[in-house]
Amino acid sequence: MAETATAKPIEKRVVLDLDRCIGCKSCMAACFYGHQEMHGVEFVDIGPALLPVVCRQCADPACVETCPAEAMVRDAEGVVARAMFHCRSCGSCVRACPFGVLSLEKVGHQIAKCDLCQDRLGRGLEPRCVAVCPTRALRFATVAEIEADGLTILGGRVAGEHPIRRRL
Amino acid sequence: MSSSASNESLRAPASRCLLCNVGCPVRVMRAGPDQYLPDYVPHAGYAGLCGRGSVLVELADHPDRIHDAHRHGGGGREVLDLRAAAAEMAEALRSTDSAAVIVDGNWDVDTLAAVGAFAKSVRAKWAVSVPPNDEALVRGLDSAGCRFIGPEAIEQADALLLVGDVFATHPVAAHWILEAKTRQPRMPVLVLAASAGVTADFASASFQAAPGAGLAAAVAAVRSGNASALGPRAKGLAGWKDQLKKAKQPMIVVAADTGCASVLALAAEVAHLAKELNAAVCPLTTYGNAWGALRTAAAGGAAGVEDILKDPPEALLVIGADVESALAPQAVASALSSVLTLVYVGPMPNRTSRRAGLVLPAAFAFEQSGRALLGPGREAAFEPLLAPPAGVPTVREILALAGGGAVKADIASPVAAATARANGEPKGEGLLLVLANDPVHFADGSLTREARWPQAVIPRPVLLLAEEDAEAAGLADGRRAVIQGPGGRAEVEVVTDAAQARGQARASAAFPEVRDVFGWKLGTADAYEPVRVQVGKA
Repeated sequence: MAETATAKPIEKRVVLDLDRCIGCKSCMAACFYGHQEMHGVEFVDIGPALLPVVCRQCADPACVETCPAEAMVRDAEGVVARAMFHCRSCGSCVRACPFGVLSLEKVGHQIAKCDLCQDRLGRGLEPRCVAVCPTRALRFATVAEIEADGLTILGGRVAGEHPIRRRL
Repeated sequence: MSSSASNESLRAPASRCLLCNVGCPVRVMRAGPDQYLPDYVPHAGYAGLCGRGSVLVELADHPDRIHDAHRHGGGGREVLDLRAAAAEMAEALRSTDSAAVIVDGNWDVDTLAAVGAFAKSVRAKWAVSVPPNDEALVRGLDSAGCRFIGPEAIEQADALLLVGDVFATHPVAAHWILEAKTRQPRMPVLVLAASAGVTADFASASFQAAPGAGLAAAVAAVRSGNASALGPRAKGLAGWKDQLKKAKQPMIVVAADTGCASVLALAAEVAHLAKELNAAVCPLTTYGNAWGALRTAAAGGAAGVEDILKDPPEALLVIGADVESALAPQAVASALSSVLTLVYVGPMPNRTSRRAGLVLPAAFAFEQSGRALLGPGREAAFEPLLAPPAGVPTVREILALAGGGAVKADIASPVAAATARANGEPKGEGLLLVLANDPVHFADGSLTREARWPQAVIPRPVLLLAEEDAEAAGLADGRRAVIQGPGGRAEVEVVTDAAQARGQARASAAFPEVRDVFGWKLGTADAYEPVRVQVGKA
């Protein structure tokens, strides 16, 4: 199924600075309550930090291509998001996503998905997990912006001052 | 942000989270006709809101919330007119010479003062309930003559001594600590904590002290420059004072979550060290209004909660506090069962309210305006986050219905110091067990255990063990275990933690079955102190 919007992919990403995360789970709570108590994002303990497994906002999203109901779309802002009422909970997108960021949520035939808090992007605000992070470990930025701060970015998702050594 | 600027931000009207004394501003956004979500907008340079603060909006609309006044008895539940219930409450207290009122300390100070005045009008004793470690920290520091600051001022530090696992208990405070470190990457950040938790990961030097009295001993070693009594691991402590002395703006941040007598001793040592270094002190408490509650109580002639429960009254009014979860649960349960007339006023049901014969609804503290004292010199006015449900009064309105009046709290005078008396390490065999706070549950857990996110993240009590201790007990990560202590036993889930020292264990503070294991007695100095336990397979 073709994309229903022709917008360019959004350039900014939610990136975790491994040197600043204190594992407080404020991001988890913000995501949970900000999405009406539905888990949109899984959070994985990766040792020195708590990593939100957010949507990678792929340039060529497999979830959009595979969705039979046009429930997965790239909107005008370039965010790959879920159109709530169209979702039939078939699970195709969950299986198609190569990064495992989608989860099956059976309530109301909805697939839980990170949408970068679209309601906030429209108000010029950052996603909730980024806004609430007390240490600015989570940032909503482009790769160029992260690297301009002297951080090394890995896989477009995590960053740190040093490629190997952790902590400030 | 300087201290004066941080005080300016406290004076700006905002709703405030009082689930710790950072006092973060809280906002909501309307998501539907009858639906509100927390709104996360950095406010005047402020950091954000931790998970605990995010729970507030859910609590406001909780399905189990108390909405009407009712009486239990005769196998039924009888709904009452609120005015009649308030009058019955007042009469129950007036009709006996043995009456008392216990109020949760996290209401605004003027509500607490009104409770005190009401208690006097019905000739009842009264007390404010705050966690014992908070009370010990306040009593140990308030009259010590320190220079106090709020967490926002930490950003200006050029040397920091952090006492306690600050990032775990007060995650938002980490914002200013890391801001200070970002400004001055070479500044010393020295961490003393009973667990080598996440705070120690960010330290330039850290020392894991023995739980209980060990922290006070460690601070004393920093002061004296002589750490020989603490063993070879503590050798580095001898040079810490010099590092702090060289700084222009040294600061001591103290979050004491273990022990009551131990915290008094710790507070005394921190105060002495701060004066010697000319360092500012930032105390971090579990209750946002711990300072305000205790100053209001002192000015209003309040007794102690344990003094009231040690000699249970005939009639007891409890406002908002789950005293049975908060203190020594078994001892308190025994005390409450001797109370002839128990009345509960509050927003949510809990262990204490379920014993009450008469229950009245009340708005949460965040559903009304008021003022709190987050720390010395840190008075914060706050606005309601949301209006309470229709028909649910504030505590002040209930007191007015019962014949009480409005009172302005006196929070100007420091609380009188208590004597510091450190307990030694408990004797006997087994692991040394302490309570573990986390950034998910609040205090005794009576509020957050009812909320969906904390339930999902920490649904059961957790026991943090060193891997070697787990192995020795035939346990592993994720397995069920039983801890047996002086007060009883509890089933827990094991989490092996590389930061946990051998011979010691930490168990979730937010579950009353864990607190029962400790067997603390009312009116003794052992509240919240470590005990020896046996750990085995469930």
